[in-house]
Amino acid sequence: MSDIVLQCERLSKTYKTGDRSLTVLDEVTFEARQGTSMAIIGPSGSGKTTLLGLCAGLDVPSNGTISLMGFKLNSMSEDDRAYVRNQFVGFVFQNFQLLPTLTALENVMVPLELRGTKNSSTKAKDLLARVGLSDRLDHYPTQLSGGEQQRVAMARAFMTSPRILFADEPTGNLDEENASQIVKLLFEINKEEKTTLVLVTHNLELAEKTERILQMKGGKLVNERSTDSVIR
Amino acid sequence: MLEYIIKIKRVTKNIFQDAWVWKMAWRDGRHNLSRLFLFSASLITGIAAVVAIASLNYSLQDELNRNAKELLGADLVLNSSKKFDAEIFTAVDSTKQKIAGDADMASMVMFMNTKQSRLVKLTAMYGDFPFYGEMATFPTNAYQLVKTGKYAMLDESLASQFQVSSEDSIKVGNTIFKVAGVVTKIPGGGGLTSTLAPAVYISLASLDSTGLVQFGSRVGYSIYIKTNSEADTKSLIEKVKPLSKKLGFGYETVEARREGLGQGFKSVYQFFSLLAFVALILGCIGVASSVHIYAREKRDEVALLRCIGSSGWQAFNIYFIQIFVLGVVGSLLGAALGVGIHQVIPYAFQEYIPLKLDFAISIRAILEGVVLGAIVSILFTLLPLLSVRFVPPLTVLRADFDSGKIKSKSKWAAIILIVLFPILAAAYQTKSFISGGLFAIGIGVALVCLTGVAYLLLFMVRRYFPINASFIWRHAMSNLFRPNNQTRVLMVAIGLGAFIIATLNIIQSSLLNQVEFKGNANQSNTILFDIQPNQKEGVVKLIKDQPLPVNQVVPIITCRLKEVKGKSIEEIQRDTARIPEWALTREYRVTYRDSLIASEELIKGELQKFTKGKADSVTVTISEGMHEVLKVTVGDSLTFDLQGVPLTVKISGIRKVDWPKDPPNFIFVFPAGVLENAPQIFVAATRVDEPTQASKFQQTLVIAYPNVSLIDLRLILSTVNELFGKIGLVVRFLALFSIITGLVVLASAVINSKFIRMKENVLLRTLGARTRQITLITLIEYAYLGIFSSLTGMILSLGGGWILTKFFFEVEFAVNAIELLYICSGVVILTVFIGWFNSREVISTPPLQVLRKEN
Repeated sequence: MSDIVLQCERLSKTYKTGDRSLTVLDEVTFEARQGTSMAIIGPSGSGKTTLLGLCAGLDVPSNGTISLMGFKLNSMSEDDRAYVRNQFVGFVFQNFQLLPTLTALENVMVPLELRGTKNSSTKAKDLLARVGLSDRLDHYPTQLSGGEQQRVAMARAFMTSPRILFADEPTGNLDEENASQIVKLLFEINKEEKTTLVLVTHNLELAEKTERILQMKGGKLVNERSTDSVIR
Repeated sequence: MLEYIIKIKRVTKNIFQDAWVWKMAWRDGRHNLSRLFLFSASLITGIAAVVAIASLNYSLQDELNRNAKELLGADLVLNSSKKFDAEIFTAVDSTKQKIAGDADMASMVMFMNTKQSRLVKLTAMYGDFPFYGEMATFPTNAYQLVKTGKYAMLDESLASQFQVSSEDSIKVGNTIFKVAGVVTKIPGGGGLTSTLAPAVYISLASLDSTGLVQFGSRVGYSIYIKTNSEADTKSLIEKVKPLSKKLGFGYETVEARREGLGQGFKSVYQFFSLLAFVALILGCIGVASSVHIYAREKRDEVALLRCIGSSGWQAFNIYFIQIFVLGVVGSLLGAALGVGIHQVIPYAFQEYIPLKLDFAISIRAILEGVVLGAIVSILFTLLPLLSVRFVPPLTVLRADFDSGKIKSKSKWAAIILIVLFPILAAAYQTKSFISGGLFAIGIGVALVCLTGVAYLLLFMVRRYFPINASFIWRHAMSNLFRPNNQTRVLMVAIGLGAFIIATLNIIQSSLLNQVEFKGNANQSNTILFDIQPNQKEGVVKLIKDQPLPVNQVVPIITCRLKEVKGKSIEEIQRDTARIPEWALTREYRVTYRDSLIASEELIKGELQKFTKGKADSVTVTISEGMHEVLKVTVGDSLTFDLQGVPLTVKISGIRKVDWPKDPPNFIFVFPAGVLENAPQIFVAATRVDEPTQASKFQQTLVIAYPNVSLIDLRLILSTVNELFGKIGLVVRFLALFSIITGLVVLASAVINSKFIRMKENVLLRTLGARTRQITLITLIEYAYLGIFSSLTGMILSLGGGWILTKFFFEVEFAVNAIELLYICSGVVILTVFIGWFNSREVISTPPLQVLRKEN
C-alpha cells in the first residue's frame, strides 16, 4: 500500500457570481506522504485557504480530483466527507473555533464522541495535560486566554489520532510568546503521532519549520521546494 | 497516484439511537436555557388559552350529561301560548304522574321601597316544580312562602339592582306582595336569561288577583311532568306528539334541552377555541421567528461540528431536540396555566352559564394541549431548523461563504405540513373539513392582511418620516429596522390582539348607536302596551298630562295563520319543502292603517287597501324578510284566524321595515275599515328624555293602569350594553392572550438583539450620548412599535367592523373614536413597558464591560 495520504490532481475552483466567474484555484497538483509536513504560503487571495478547504473535504473542486486516505472526496456526499474527516482529519484554526457552550474537556471529547467511542474523557484529559491545561478542564472558552483556547483546539485536533492535520494560520491570533509555545507543541505532538501536517500560513518563519513549502500566487502553485534548500 | 477507491461504510443512526446528539443538545442548551425558555414562553399563553377553553367545554359537557334532568327540572315540559285544553290533561293523566306548571307574562312591577318600576317576566307557579335539581332561594323558606299566595320571589340580579330585601314589598298589577326572598338557582333559569328578562315569581293562585290577565295579554303556559320511569316518559311523548300538532303547543324533553344547550355551548366553544388557536399560531410564528435567529447564530458552531465529522442530520437533531423539549415544557407550563385559568373561570363566568361549573381537571384537555403544543413547536420551527442541515463546513474558514440556494425535499415537506396543520387542527376542533378549510383560509387572510398593513405602514413611515426630526426620534425609528428585530412579526401579533378588541368595540358602538335615541328628537323611546280599549283615552291623557308627546297610538289585533296560498297550515306542515313551524303556528300581532310610517318603505306592490262593501277586496302588506320565510309574494292569498273568525286577504305589497326605528312595527298591516270591530288592545309610543321624568311617569302609570306594561327602550340600551359587557369580557380575555403572546415575542426579540443593542449603545456613549438620551431612544422605539402595532389592528378593525356591521349585523357602522384611542394607548403603554423592562440591562451596562466581552 502506498504511503500517500493526500493527493490533489489538477485541482481548480471557480465561483460564479451572476454572469461572471472567478477562478480562485487553477490546476493545482501535489501530494502529501504519511508523517511529512508541508506549508502552503502566499499572499492574501492567492488561494491558500481555498486549497486547504478542498483538501480537507470542506468543499468540492470545480475540476480535478482529491484523494484523502484513498477516498475520492469530490464524488462523495457532504455527510460522507464529514465521516472521512472524523476518521482521518484533524483541524487547527486561526480563530480557535471552540464551541462556546462546551467546557475545554467537552470540546476535546467531541470528535471521539462523534465516532460513538465511550470513555473518551480519559484520552481528552491526557491530551489536555499534554498541552498544559489539566487545571482548566471545566473552563469555558470565554474563561480561557487566546493561547489556552488554541491549546484546547490542538488537543481536540489530536483526539482522534488523525492521519492528517490541517492547520490554518494557527498562530495568527496569538502574541509572540503564545505563538512559539503553540508551534512547539504542534510539531512535538505531530512528530509523536506521526501525523501528516498541512499548514497554511503567512509566517515564513513558521513555514520554514516544515519539510516542504508550496508557494501559491493568483490561484496557482508557483513554487514547491523543500525547506532544507531554503535553509541552505 | 492512488489507484483504488475505498467504498465508505458509514453507519447512520436515528435520533433515538444517537446518544451524542442528546448529549450535545443538553451541553449546548444549558447555556441558552433562559433564552430557549423565552421561545417556549411564546407558546405558553396560546396553550393556556386552548387548555382553559377545552377544560371548560369538557366540564360543561360532563355537567350536561350528568345533570341533564336538572336542566329541565322535569321529564317533560309542555309549552303553549294559550291555556291548555282539557284533552291534554287527560292525556297526561295527572293521577299517574306528578304535575306542576306555570304561567308567565311580561308585566310591570313597582318596588314599593323606592317606588321605581320595571318590566319583568312574571312567573306564576303551581305544584312542586322542580322535580329534579333544586330551586335555591335565600332565605331557604322563600319558595314555601310564595306557595301561600301572599309572597313573591325575585331573581337575584333584580333584587340587587333595586336593592330589595325580604322586608320590602312589590306591587304586581293590583296586588301588593311581600318579598319572600331571592332565587339564586332554578332549573333552566339563570345565565343570560335573567339579564335579558329578570323574573318575579308568585303563585298561580294569586295571579288572578293582580288583574293582569286581560284580553290580549300575552301569557305563556307550561306544564312540568315527572313520570315514574323512562318507559312512561317515552309512552307519554308518543301520546303528546300528535296532540302537539293538533292543538298547537310545543313540548321539550330532557334530551332536547341537553342537545340544545350542548349545541349552544359547542358553537360558543368552537368560536372561542378557534380564537385561542389563533393566539397559539401567533405564538408559533413568534417561536419560528426566534428560532430562525437562533439557528443563524448557531451557524459557526454547526460549521465546526460538520468540520469535525458531524452529519447534517446530527447537527439538525441537536437543535431539534432542544426545541422539541422546550416545546413540550412550554406546553406543560401552558397546560398548567390553562388549568389554573380554568379554576378561576367558574368564579368569573358562573353567572352567565345555567349550569354549575366544577373545578375538575380535564386530563383530556391537558393532553390535547400538550400534544398540540409539541406538534406546533416542531412544525413551526422545522423550516428555520432545517437550514442548519445545510450549513457548509467551509464557513469555518470563510464566515461569508454561501453555498447558494438549497433544494431540499424535507423543506418542502415541512412547508406542506405547516399549510396542512391549521386545516387539520381546525377541522378537529369543528369536526368538519369544510369548516377547517374555511378557518385556515380565514387565518391566512387575516394574517396576510395584518402583514400587508404592517408592511405598508412601515414602508410609508420609512419613506415619509421627517428627515429634520431630532436625532433621538430618527435613531429610535431606525432601530425598528434593525436586522433580526422581528418588527413585522411583533406588529402582526400585537396588532391581532388590538384588532380583536377594536372590532368588538366597533360592533358594540354600532349596535348601541342603533338603539341610541339622542340623534332623533322625535323618535319614541317608551312603549306602552296591553292598553285595553276602555283605557285608551285615559292613557293618552296621562301621557299628555306629564307632559309628553303621544307619538303613536296603535291598535293591535292578535291572530293566527289558517291558510297560506290556499293551503291549510296542517297541509303545509306535511310538505317536504317546509316553512318553519314557528312562522306557521305563532300568534301574529297585526295593526290597521292606510299609510306608511317613518320606519317603513314600500319596496314592492302597493299599500294595503279595502273597498267598502267588498269583503273579498282586503289586501295586506307584509314585511320584507317574512315574505321569504312564508314563501309568499305580492298577489298571494293568506287566511287569518281572527279569534275564531276566518278572513282571507291578498298580499298587495312588501314593506321594508327599519325595526328599531319608531317602534312599534308590524309584520302584517291591514287596511283601515276591516278590523275596527275585532277585539283589540292598544299600544302607545312616547318619548321621555329625563330619567327622573321617566321614573315619575312609570310610577303614575303603574298606579293608574297596573295592567299596562311599559318598555323603556333606554333599559334595552343598558341591557344591550350589559350583555356586551359580559360577552366582551370573554372575547377581550382571549384577545389578551394574543397581546400577551405578542409581548412575549417582543421580550424574546429584545433579548435576541441584546448584544447588538449593547454595542450600539456603547458606540453612542463613546460619541457622547447620555444615559437619558439612550433611555429616551429605547422608549421611543417601543412607543413607535406600540403605535404601529395598534394602528395595524385599528386599520384592519375598521375594515372588519365595517364588513361585520354592514353584512352580518345589518346596522349602521359607528365608531367611538375615544374608546379606540383608549385601546391604542393601552397597547402602546404595555409595549413600551415590556420593551423597557427587558432593555434595562442594555441601557445600564457600562461600555467597558461590553468591549471586554466582545474582545
